[in-house]
Amino acid sequence: MLAGLRGSNNEGVLALVLVVIVVAISILNPVFFSLTTMFSIMRGSIVPLIFALGVLIVIISGGIDVSFAAIAIFSAYTAVKIAQDGNFDPGLIVITLMAACFGALLGLVNGAVIANFRLPTLIVTLGTQGLFRGVLIAYVGSKYIANPPMSLDEVAKTNIISIVNEQERGAFLHVLVVPVIILTILVAWMLKRTMFGRAIFAIGGDDEAARRAGFPVVRIQMMVYILVGVLAAVAGVFHVTLGRNANPQDLVGNELDVIAAVVLGGASVFGGRGSVLGTVLGVLLIQVINNSLLLAGVPTAWQRAAVGVLLIVGVGIQALSAKRKTKRSFVTAQLGA
Amino acid sequence: MAKAYRALPVLEVKNIVKTYGGVKALDEVSMALTAGNVHCLAGENGCGKSTLIKIISGVEQPDSGSIYIDGKLQEKLSPFSSIMAGIQVIYQDFSLFPNLSVAENITITSQVAIRAKLFSASKAKIAAATIIKELGLTLDLSAKVEALSVADKQLTAICRALINDARVIVMDEPTTALTHTEVDYLFDVVRKLRERGVALVFVSHKLEESLQVSQDVTILRNGKHIISGIASEFDRKSLTQYITGRDVSEAREITSPVMTAKPLMEVSHLCSSGAFNDVSFTLHSGEILGITGLLGSGRTEIAEALFGVRPAESGTIEIDGQAIRVRTIRDAIKAGIGYLPEDRLTQGLFLDKSVGDNIIAGSLDKHRSAFGLLDGEGISKTTQSMFDRLKIKAKSVSAPVRSLSGGNAQRVVLGKLLANQPKVLILNGPTVGVDIGSKEQILEILRNEANLGRGVIVISDDSLELVSVCNRVLVVRQGEIVDTLTGSQITATNIQEMTTA
Amino acid sequence: MLLILIGSFALFTYLQPDIFLNPVNLQNIMIASPEIGVIAVAMMVAMLTGGIDLSTVAVANLSAITITTLYSSLMASDPARAAQMMPFIVLLGLVVGLAGGLFNGFLISYVGIAPILATLGSMQIFNGLAIVWTGGKTLYGAPEELAAVGKAGVLGMPTTFIALLVIAGLVAIFLNKTSLGRKTQLLGTNPVAARYSGINSRQVLMSTYMLTGLLGGCAGVLFLARNPTSSADYGSSYVLLVIVIAVLGGTNPAGGFATVTGVVLATLTLQTVASGFNAIRLSAYEYSIAQGAILILVMILDQASTKRKLNKGLNKANWFKKKARK
Repeated sequence: MLAGLRGSNNEGVLALVLVVIVVAISILNPVFFSLTTMFSIMRGSIVPLIFALGVLIVIISGGIDVSFAAIAIFSAYTAVKIAQDGNFDPGLIVITLMAACFGALLGLVNGAVIANFRLPTLIVTLGTQGLFRGVLIAYVGSKYIANPPMSLDEVAKTNIISIVNEQERGAFLHVLVVPVIILTILVAWMLKRTMFGRAIFAIGGDDEAARRAGFPVVRIQMMVYILVGVLAAVAGVFHVTLGRNANPQDLVGNELDVIAAVVLGGASVFGGRGSVLGTVLGVLLIQVINNSLLLAGVPTAWQRAAVGVLLIVGVGIQALSAKRKTKRSFVTAQLGA
Repeated sequence: MAKAYRALPVLEVKNIVKTYGGVKALDEVSMALTAGNVHCLAGENGCGKSTLIKIISGVEQPDSGSIYIDGKLQEKLSPFSSIMAGIQVIYQDFSLFPNLSVAENITITSQVAIRAKLFSASKAKIAAATIIKELGLTLDLSAKVEALSVADKQLTAICRALINDARVIVMDEPTTALTHTEVDYLFDVVRKLRERGVALVFVSHKLEESLQVSQDVTILRNGKHIISGIASEFDRKSLTQYITGRDVSEAREITSPVMTAKPLMEVSHLCSSGAFNDVSFTLHSGEILGITGLLGSGRTEIAEALFGVRPAESGTIEIDGQAIRVRTIRDAIKAGIGYLPEDRLTQGLFLDKSVGDNIIAGSLDKHRSAFGLLDGEGISKTTQSMFDRLKIKAKSVSAPVRSLSGGNAQRVVLGKLLANQPKVLILNGPTVGVDIGSKEQILEILRNEANLGRGVIVISDDSLELVSVCNRVLVVRQGEIVDTLTGSQITATNIQEMTTA
Repeated sequence: MLLILIGSFALFTYLQPDIFLNPVNLQNIMIASPEIGVIAVAMMVAMLTGGIDLSTVAVANLSAITITTLYSSLMASDPARAAQMMPFIVLLGLVVGLAGGLFNGFLISYVGIAPILATLGSMQIFNGLAIVWTGGKTLYGAPEELAAVGKAGVLGMPTTFIALLVIAGLVAIFLNKTSLGRKTQLLGTNPVAARYSGINSRQVLMSTYMLTGLLGGCAGVLFLARNPTSSADYGSSYVLLVIVIAVLGGTNPAGGFATVTGVVLATLTLQTVASGFNAIRLSAYEYSIAQGAILILVMILDQASTKRKLNKGLNKANWFKKKARK
């Protein structure tokens, strides 16, 4: 009976965990339960969520991408640098588009190698991660850009909801939350309602069967990695905008938090399984934990270990329940025979 | 040999030649399919059946020869154009998507075929429901395919073929994983398909079945087209002759068991819910005991329970009068049981490792010397002696198993078992996918091992093989031993009658 | 592999003979190689079973930090005792590695988590613990004896380099000359057949990850021998590097095939390339580009050669492979 509430990828369980944690922390520290915290968690989720959407898509297709952070900073930094060197300010949208083009190109590199040669995706993207980052710093630029174009700065200071009350803490909902919500809905729609999305699931479920069913598997895999590149580039630009600086050394090294969020959200590293809802919950969960540790007085140093524990507990529960399920399904299959 | 008969064929292939790395997989093969008929494509494993299917489905291109659909020559058949022409292949593994729902699995290929851009789960459900209703089936449309039984997976695959307006459906070994009630049900569905005017191809190496449902027959052997004709013109014997290329002999050459007071192995009241029930038998030293039954009868499950793959829930096993507990495979091996699994490629062999590595894989712990290191000399002695004793044809013990023929690969698995000096050898389909010459030799190895005092259990649905080597044959039906054949009762006809009764 | 090593050596000798052939440079290659080599061997062992161990570097740091903290606190209170206890403290560092491996092994073989996720998580945990422990700072005060041993040399070879050769030799013996080692190789080739052959996959996986953990501990000791400081984020670029080395050394990431010799040679090659890049004045980032490019090229070439071999091979072999894939 509870099965329905659990959702196909345990989203229900995750939502429950999230609520329990929020309630628990709010009881421990009432300051936590406020619009301020909520908005700041949402702001903190902007970049990781876009990354996570990209990672979700690759993981569903049965691969993994650890080069997305390198792609993000490469694309964003290059776009910002072009604007700065050319001494013009095209605005957020054009910069994002420019970055997206770079992202697509780098994603194409991943996709072409993976799809055409059928190589292990983890190792290929580890390789391209080094490659992209190396090219960025060695050839594009290694300097920290402290003053990105004014238009980005403007956006950085724009909030759609600003509540300033008598207490010293105001609540601000950043404007970039809007495009992220739109992107999230678009990705969810694409995965559920388009044949491209279903093809991604199909390839992740059984790539040989997908080939036999007439899906252009190589082309779809390339598209997947291009899409991840584009999403990463957008995340990169948003990151630069929010941080109000462009640092080529940034982002790379934090891939694991994003992958952890997606996997916690119920996506299977073996492919074919995962949902946008689960991913959103996974990202929020990690943000909440990071935020609440701070509020609960736990030093930030513990954050990394906490994410590790969360990942292992989450994945461990999934692994154990999968083990039990195979045992059970074997018995029922036998009974059916 | 093939005669021209009846109406214009829906699909016709003529003089197909396909070569892989210098070996002719198909050599001048022709076949014509008629609407509303079932065409049986028969032959031993490796005779070229799979290659022919791949060519029909456009996955592989022939080196020469022509393909006609409705009398029209097809220049280049791709998987996509093959589907568009109404050709659907139901592969042995069904090629379904385990992570998607039944409804989506049924509809997805047709959506790909029309190059749809969008997908609607509710429309998929409606379309799938229509086809399921037409065939009078019951399937849970929103269940994920991974949760289905094998039979339901197959029905899903059939529905998927039909929703694409299939005019030709090729079924690759469709009955392999089904129980016989499920097979009957499948044949009902096949009848319905025939009424709809679908041309069917049944790829099978099981003769009874093939004769039961087919109207036309084509037989391949070693990539060559042996004969095509009307099913009613063949009988079991002639089919076997065409398939194997030799006369069928029911000659028996059996070992003489040692009838001691205590049998070598005694199995009593073994039960495993849903698989088999109250299985009891004895095995004597030097005896070759056959266990036969249809697929799904429980014969494999019994063997796997004895070997600890899926332990039995109750019952006892004794070896040499000692009760043993078999909870894991290691328990069984320790107790002196060796098992040759059904699928040697995935369960039996380390394909990329050498013959020697494979032979020693099960007995590494027995070849240790000082400091827990491996005894290299002992290992090479064991592997070389197995290599010679089983007459494995390979360059040397260091040749990779992947380069070996089926018969030789099977001998490598046997070598691995024998290196452990088991008291009881259980062999599940010892000669499946093995060429004729090798088959005789493998059976001879079994006789030799029995003569050395081992007890041998052969699980097989090849009645001639059972006739050839077994002292006794147990017949399993629906998880129970229903009969024991001994001496002159062991004939191919008897075995077939008993298993299907 | 040997050819590539000689080739790259020759190339850089040709490009910058003065700097590259300088004994100091050659010495540097031998000093930089051991810690990376040991971690690469660990990666290879994990890949041999078809898995991966991303946590080895974190384990190594944790072990180095343990040794440093214990030693420096003992040193502060009782210097004589510290010197006396030194071997035990180093041993404790190795035990930390082993414990880390035990944790990974438990997650992978008993809980059933995919190795990549298990070690990803444990890497975060080990690394997180190290950050908490050190407060993100670099610790000083590692045993000087270790550094002294590290600086010493036999026949012009640094002690640490000899340590690498010894460790590699021991792992090679384990993999090829012990029952457990051979089972590790078989399990990586075909886990199902391994099960039917009576191989205890839990035991094998457990010992595999304990070994990679122990090797991580060894690497931690080597860190200290090279440089008597420890921190949580030392060698963070090694994770990619050792995968490159393992694959370059002929390890099949899908499992079953790898040689210790290949990995050691690959380590030396990459270090040669690194110092060669240095000698011809290319930056660390250009080296990182080279790493990525080499990794991908090697895999593509490897793929192409397997394909060719298969096409050349018997039709039967092809047929088998297809059947096996089902």
